[in-house]
This record gives sequence, C-alpha cells and structure tokens, in this order.
Amino acid sequence: MTKPSAWRRVLVADALVGYLFVLPLIVLVLGLVAYPLGNAVWISLTDKYVGYAARFVGLANYVTLTRDPIFHKVIRNSAVFTLASVAVKVVLGMLMALALQRALIARSFLRAALLVPWVIPTVITALTWHWMFNALWGFINVTLQGVGLVREPIAWLGQPATAMAAVITANIWRGFPFFGVCLLAGMQAIPRDLYEAAAVDGASPAQRFWHITLPGLRLVLLVTTLISLIFTLNDFNIVYVLTRGGPGTATHVLATYTYEVGFQALRWGKAVAVSMYPLPVIAVMIVIVTRYLTRED
Amino acid sequence: MAGRGVLAYGFIGLLLLVVGVPFYWMVNTSLKTSAQLQSLTPYYYPSPATLRNYAALLGTTNFLTWIKNSALVAVGATLVTVVVSSLAGYSLTRIRYPGRRVLATTVLVVYLVPPTLLFIPLYTVLKSFDLVNSLWALLVAYPTFTVPFCTWLLMGFFRSIPRDLEEAAMVDGATRLGAFTRVILPLTTPGILAAALFAFTLAWNEFLYALVFVHNTELKTIPVGLNDLMFGDIFLWGELMAASVLTTLPVIALYTYLQRYMVEGLTAGAVTG
Repeated sequence: MTKPSAWRRVLVADALVGYLFVLPLIVLVLGLVAYPLGNAVWISLTDKYVGYAARFVGLANYVTLTRDPIFHKVIRNSAVFTLASVAVKVVLGMLMALALQRALIARSFLRAALLVPWVIPTVITALTWHWMFNALWGFINVTLQGVGLVREPIAWLGQPATAMAAVITANIWRGFPFFGVCLLAGMQAIPRDLYEAAAVDGASPAQRFWHITLPGLRLVLLVTTLISLIFTLNDFNIVYVLTRGGPGTATHVLATYTYEVGFQALRWGKAVAVSMYPLPVIAVMIVIVTRYLTRED
Repeated sequence: MAGRGVLAYGFIGLLLLVVGVPFYWMVNTSLKTSAQLQSLTPYYYPSPATLRNYAALLGTTNFLTWIKNSALVAVGATLVTVVVSSLAGYSLTRIRYPGRRVLATTVLVVYLVPPTLLFIPLYTVLKSFDLVNSLWALLVAYPTFTVPFCTWLLMGFFRSIPRDLEEAAMVDGATRLGAFTRVILPLTTPGILAAALFAFTLAWNEFLYALVFVHNTELKTIPVGLNDLMFGDIFLWGELMAASVLTTLPVIALYTYLQRYMVEGLTAGAVTG
C-alpha cells in the first residue's frame, strides 16, 4: 500500500508537469493577447497619434465618435452587413445540411466539395467576386445581359445599395458551408428512433423538422450563429478588397474604419476607440458561446 | 421518399453551381488573352487558351517571392502551433491542477477575440521587439489565433482517448512525457493532422496582420501581394486570376487529401464541448 504522503508527492509532481505543458500557451495568451488588449484600452483613452507621445484624454475619443457622422454610418453598415450575411448563411446552411442528410450517395464527397469556399484564402474570394461583379466583363453582367434580363451593364461596386449587396454576397458565399457542415454534424447526433417514432405517429416531414430536428439542433445553431456573428461583425478582408468601404462610405464597416483611422489617418487613439465600441456586444456573445461549449455533460 | 431524394440532389446541384461559378470564372479568366478579356462580346471559355498570364505573373511580378514568404510563415506558424497546442490540449484535459478550468475557458475566449481589436496594440508590442516589417512579426502574431483554435480542437480529441491507456503506461513506469509522446500522441494523429491543417490554412489565408505588420514588397505574403497587384495603375485581371488559381491550389490539394480530418476537427470543435 502506498503511503498518503507518497501519493501527494506524485500528484504534486504531476500537477507541475501539467503547468509546464501549458506554460507556452499561458505566455502566448498573456504576452500577445491579454497585454495588448489592456494596452488597447489605454490607447483608446489617449490622443495617440503615430510618431507623437500619447496624452491621456479620458473618454474624449469615445465622445467624439458619438458625433462623427461617418462612425454612425459605419455602425449602420456593420449591422446591415452582419445581420443580412448571417441570416442568409443560417438559412442556406440549414438547407444544405437537410439536403446532404437526405443524400445517401456521395455524401461526404459533396460535403467536402461544398466546403471549399470556406478553406480558400478570403482575399482570393474577394478578388474573384470583384471580377465577377465587374461592370463590363464580369460574369454577372455578362450573363444577365446574355439572357436579356438587363440591357445596360450594372455598376455593382459603384453604387451604394448594390455595393453592399455585393459584399454581403461574397461573405455569404464564403460562410454558408461552415453552417452546413456543422448543422449536418448536429443532425447526425439526433437519435434515429425519435424520427422513427414520429413517423409511426404519422408526423409529416415539416412536423418532424419543427419538433425533432430544430430542437435537436438548438445548441449547435446557437453556437455557430454566435461565432459567425462575432467574425462577420469584424470582417475586414472581403469589404477591404471588394470596395475599400466605398463608394464613399457606403460599405465602410467597423474593421475597415478602424484600419483607415489607424493606418491612413494615423490616429491610433480614435482608431482603437472605434474597435472598442462593439466590445460589449461581442463580450456578451463570447460569454454565451463559452458558457455553452464548456458545459460539462 | 424518392421525390425528396431528387429534391435534395437538385438543391445540392444548385449549391454546387453557386460554389463552382466563381472558380470557373477564375480559371476561365486566367487562360484568356488580354484581347479576349476586353472583348465586347465576352467569352465563356478561352479560345484559344493561353498560359501567357501565368508566364507574365511568374516573370514580371513578385508572385514567387510572396508565395515563398507565405509558405515560410505558414509552415513556421504550423510547427509552433502543433507543439504548443498539443502540449496545452493534453495538459488541460488530462492532468489535474488548480486553475485548469479557467485556462480551458480562456482558450475559447481568446479564440473568439477578433483581430480587429488586437492589430493596433499588437503592432506596438511587435514594434517594441523591433519585429515590425519582418516575417518574424507574422510568425509571432499568427499563433494568437492558431493556437487557441487548435488547442480547443485537440482538447476534443484528447478527451476521446480512454484514460486507462496512459494510466497503464504510467503504472508500468512511464513518465508523463513518455506516456504523452509514446501512447497518447500516436492515438491522436488524426487530431494533430487536423490541427496542423487548420493552422496552415489560417496562416496561409491571413490578411489583416500581414497588411499592417509588413511594408516591404519583397517581404509581403501572397494575400497582401495580390491585393497590391489589384490596386496598381492597371487592372491585370488575367494575371490576378492566374495568381488566384495558383494560390488556391496548395490549399485545395491539402484539403482534398486531408478533408476527412478537417471536417472531423471542425465539427468536433464546434459541435461538442
């Protein structure tokens, strides 16, 4: 029989190994995430202009932004871009998952093929869609004119409403497969016998979807939607490459505005304040995702 | 039932079309001559097909340098990520010590912190170590998103391995490190592959940090280089689409070969807790 004190020594030694293994991660998180985030809060409270020393100005940057018409537009654009993109991604992803679940032949091949937009570089996606939307030689106008739907070429990226539609389209194209694959995995985790019992009771496919599939997917749906909301709200690549926030400020979103104020106007205090504004919303979403994903079950 | 199967395949066909058209347009454009590109009656296929855009891309731009930079950074970041994440993922799921719950939650929170919030303060950190405008900046910055994601993903894999295996090894006198490297790691190979694949892809695709942290043309990674090509004085769509084809190929090749692990990893990370 091992003495209790010997056991204790083994456990303590084991715990030390545990800390040792996780140490690189801790260093990374503290040095490259936690410290910069704390620093971000500080920068946003100063008038930091690149090349000059920072002076503490309290909440001045935040207050100034409330009176900045471009910032108002940026908030509205971000909301439209994020909500419209994510809503369509959820619906398309759900339909994709439902279709794949019914597809018994070549399912994993089809799933892999549909996930391709999600793995290729976002800049390539944006470049390609830029060219697809080209007014004179882009696929969309060429095809629309070819089948006689429009007579004159549409300057998709040159007008506010169509430019917003274009960046949303590219974002949806890239993001819906993520939902499709996650929801399919969620559907496959729902016990078969629930469906069989419902079929015996004469439930229609629509009823089975509402009463079995949807409740069964609640957790996956919530988590994937929140993750997608966080990343779409902070999307930079697609908007930057497709429109640079234009025409004018028609598609300017939080990330592109932060970049413009920070690296073109060089006003870091204000730029960081811009990126801090959505933080309360993001924090709430992060807390919910974390709560659900770390539940011990 | 047969009717709904047709409907399902019909819808999948439609989605494949939506997914495929941009790729078709990319490849089609890359093979056209500039006369065909600017013809007023546009072609749906290159006639005759030409590799001139590819030759011009390789001969007159920094494409190969950018690809080399991207490869260096992506491979480096992947190696760092795999080591840090597998050690951390194992520790957080298998060894008991105070604080590991909090750490596990932190990993998830850090994964969800958007780069938009980090890129300016991270710039000042990199600047203080004199790393700005070098590939080292990216090699240091990329683990901030690859490590949390891959650690989280690997934690799922480690949890699925029965505890008895390593306990048996340790009763037989193996140390923790021995049990980890000789018993657990071989069993987690699919998870490590998935993590490596994700780390490589995330690093290969990254844009914002690469745009901000590196200024010299010869140090840029491929996404930023392409963006520069695009907003030059003239739009070189033939070259740009050729570059898109060549940049997408490595990712698609890796993905075709390893997609099973990737899908498994993705759904393990997002679906299970």
